[in-house]
Amino acid sequence: MGRIKALVIKEFRQIRRTRAYLGLIFVAPFVQLIVMGSAITNEVKDIPLIVVDGDHSPASREIINRFSALSLFDFRGVADSTVRADRLFDRGEIKAALVIPRGFERDMGRGLSPQIQVLIDGVDGNSAGVSLGYITSMAGEIQKGWIGSRATGAGAEIVPRFYYNPGLESKLNFVPGLIGILLFMITSMLTAINIVREKELGTLEQLMATPLGGIRLIVGKIIPFTVLGLVQFSVGLIAARLVFGIPVAGNLLLLYFMALLFIMSTLGLGIFISTVTSTQQQAMFVAWFSMIFALLLSGFFVPVGNMPPLVQKITLLNPLRYFMSVLREIYLKGTPFRYLLPEAAAMGGMGIGLITAATLRFHRRLE
Amino acid sequence: MKKSLAAVFRKELIHIFRDKQSLFMVLTMPLMMLLLYGYAINLDMRGIEITVSDRSLSPRSGELIRHLEATEFFHVTVAGGGVSDVGDLFRSRRAQCVLEIPGDYADLLAAGKTAPLLLAIDASDPNGANFIGNYVARVVSLSFGERQGLFALEPRIFYNPDMRSAPFFVPGLIALILLLICALLTSIAIVREKETGSMEQLLVSPVRPWQIILGKVLPYTFLGFLDGLMILGAGRLLFRIPVEGSLLLVMAMMLIYVVTGLSLGMLVSTIASTQAVAMLATVSLTVLPSMLMSGFIFPVSSMPPLFQLVSRIIPATYFLEIIRGILLKGNSLADLYRPGGILLGLDGILILLSIRAFRIRLE
Amino acid sequence: MGIREGSAAVEVRELTKRFGDFTAVDRVSFTVGKGEIFGFLGANGAGKTTTIRMLCGLLAPSGGEGSVAGYDIIGEYGKIKGRIGYMSQKFSLYNDLTVGENIEFYGGIYGLTPGEIRDRSGELFAIIGLEELKGKLTASLPMGWKQRLALCAGLIHDPAIIFLDEPTSGVDPLSRRNFWKLIYRLSDMGKTVFVTTHYMDEAEYCHRLSIMKGGRILEMDSPHALKGKYGAQNMQEVFLASLKEGS
Repeated sequence: MGRIKALVIKEFRQIRRTRAYLGLIFVAPFVQLIVMGSAITNEVKDIPLIVVDGDHSPASREIINRFSALSLFDFRGVADSTVRADRLFDRGEIKAALVIPRGFERDMGRGLSPQIQVLIDGVDGNSAGVSLGYITSMAGEIQKGWIGSRATGAGAEIVPRFYYNPGLESKLNFVPGLIGILLFMITSMLTAINIVREKELGTLEQLMATPLGGIRLIVGKIIPFTVLGLVQFSVGLIAARLVFGIPVAGNLLLLYFMALLFIMSTLGLGIFISTVTSTQQQAMFVAWFSMIFALLLSGFFVPVGNMPPLVQKITLLNPLRYFMSVLREIYLKGTPFRYLLPEAAAMGGMGIGLITAATLRFHRRLE
Repeated sequence: MKKSLAAVFRKELIHIFRDKQSLFMVLTMPLMMLLLYGYAINLDMRGIEITVSDRSLSPRSGELIRHLEATEFFHVTVAGGGVSDVGDLFRSRRAQCVLEIPGDYADLLAAGKTAPLLLAIDASDPNGANFIGNYVARVVSLSFGERQGLFALEPRIFYNPDMRSAPFFVPGLIALILLLICALLTSIAIVREKETGSMEQLLVSPVRPWQIILGKVLPYTFLGFLDGLMILGAGRLLFRIPVEGSLLLVMAMMLIYVVTGLSLGMLVSTIASTQAVAMLATVSLTVLPSMLMSGFIFPVSSMPPLFQLVSRIIPATYFLEIIRGILLKGNSLADLYRPGGILLGLDGILILLSIRAFRIRLE
Repeated sequence: MGIREGSAAVEVRELTKRFGDFTAVDRVSFTVGKGEIFGFLGANGAGKTTTIRMLCGLLAPSGGEGSVAGYDIIGEYGKIKGRIGYMSQKFSLYNDLTVGENIEFYGGIYGLTPGEIRDRSGELFAIIGLEELKGKLTASLPMGWKQRLALCAGLIHDPAIIFLDEPTSGVDPLSRRNFWKLIYRLSDMGKTVFVTTHYMDEAEYCHRLSIMKGGRILEMDSPHALKGKYGAQNMQEVFLASLKEGS
């Protein structure tokens, strides 16, 4: 115990003397959360739209008025011909256009159900789908208003109710996820670089010449970095609360317990990276690269369920994938531990596995 | 003079091909990123877990359930007699949405009225929730047949009619990789020479400073350019990315953008003293902003105004507009004078800045 | 913790280390007695560091056998580590810890209690002369002092044998002389000192000396006897003559 204590004390003394650490742990999470939390959004707002009015009737004018009043759209005016709309599409100045045909009002009066063309720029498929959804529901509302309360025959109407995030705000989804990503980045990268640095400086060899042993050495590294990780995690939670006003719906203690399991797996990864690299630059590169992979395959941007089956299986090896769902479950839905057991088991198992593998590699004498 | 330039150029190529890390970055990473983005990023939802809380238990409600089951979007669980705790279903992740069919559903329909169907959606993924709402509404309205309204909508999706993700991401990936290779590798290469002291060795030789820099950056220009074409080719083969416009125009624009990346890398190299710092600085000052704020994944128009302003000074924003325009929309030069002009302008500013910064260092 | 009863401090037979095709140490045999100052003289790449690293349990030998402090270097290297001190050719203490903190850290690593560390470091600081520098950041020390600090850290657990791998490289001549005075004091205290060097004048200070080249020992005797054998004035001449003969 005394030997591990000596290691831990030494590590904290070094951390205290390195300014960069303090910046990384206390300042970076705030800045990154603010920047990324604001920039990362898949809400679709301010869709630039024009209406090509071929009818110039009271009905077409009402449609124009209704759409231009909606804040979801950035109404760019009325055009006379579709030629102009085409050019605006090509230049990327508009993303959607409504084309009201000549004789629209007259045909409606005759019960001919005239068609309004909805032109959408499909380059960003996701935004296109959402825009189409907005336009469809707006058109439905306009029609309902015109028909009035007259019975329209048997039918059903969906009344949606959004749980946990009634305003469908992206930030509620992304900000908790970002906390996990930042934690992953800091803990795995710092550990890897820290150990490789000792290798480069020769202090690791000095330690290996003492009767310390691989297990104690690794435990002595894990303890300080776990503490750092938890501090950084807390800073992230506070920033989410203060900057974005997102509180934790579930049990805070459970959240910390899960974070602890997650940190075990990321530290294990960091230590493992340090055993396969020999310079800080290499360690950084490998850590950064595994970060990109972990990020894309975590379900942060895209739900894992949307991925092809093979890719879904690969995500099972990604600790960030589990922590991502744990964060969102506890943060937004207040999910209890019994529903998060699989995630806890996976993260804990990976942590133990990676740390054991790294220890075994350390145990072998330097070659 | 040309010979000394060639010597630096050749030396740099040797570095790249001897160093496994650089080689990996140049050859393997672009393809891996392409595969990852192409396959992992797919915003189409499939197999949505829907629980139908059927309190009506009538032939009419059975009919609605069959309609839901018939689509590929849903994986339907029927809770006959109703669901008591929606929250528990969501927390245990057994359902993403719960459709409540009321007890008087059949009666309302028989009376020719509109029956309200309550749809509870787990919106912890708001984007998904939005889609689920639209899908269910569409299936329900279709199950009653096309009712003739006062007017109808006829959607026409331009450029990417199936609204696939790949045509959106792959051109963006070209922008990202070009920047990554050009900016990151150049800054690391220049800083490495500083670290090992070989830069001074070169500077005392009769080679002119501009020749050193040019000789160092040209190989990366070339590789970055090749990578861009490689992604384009692989994207076309694997993900059927269209090339509507002129390929020559694409390449010309890529060259302009490569210069952007190189001057960014050179700028970073003047402030960084070690390779690790160069790497961190390039990633956080150039790659991350270009990834997050250029419209590569997230629509710029949805960001807070301040970030929209930032996106206007990021070269990637304009290059994305250009390359998506040419590849997907078939834009010609006439459509692109604005973003093209701005990109050239930014290039000019960056080159001036990096030359200035370099002079200061050398003095 | 001392040397096991009835054993030499270091004893190796036919010790060999190969890295792939390259043989760094080639069938080396020697014995070092208790309290002896034993020197390894050789150019860079002669195999000195590789030999030391095998003796300290940092590297597994590819062939041969040996014991340090009476314990087998292949099967019992764990027991050896507590009984030896090691100072590598690169200064390898923590620059961002103070002098006192470094000593405290290594004391802790060797399993000393805080009381033992205090007593022992007080003793060592008095001998080595680091007392006033205790609170200073290691990075701010001149190289000569860093070397003394590294020696101090290697001695904190009172080892019976101390391995010094080119301890004075990059140190000014005055500091080098002072450092060797310390080595003599250690020897007087009954410690075995195993030292490698490429400085000829330092070789003169050793009780016994072996000259290495290409992984093999060319000569091994006291400096006096070696000078007699080659009829040489100083070690420089001995070294050059032995290399010529050995090749």
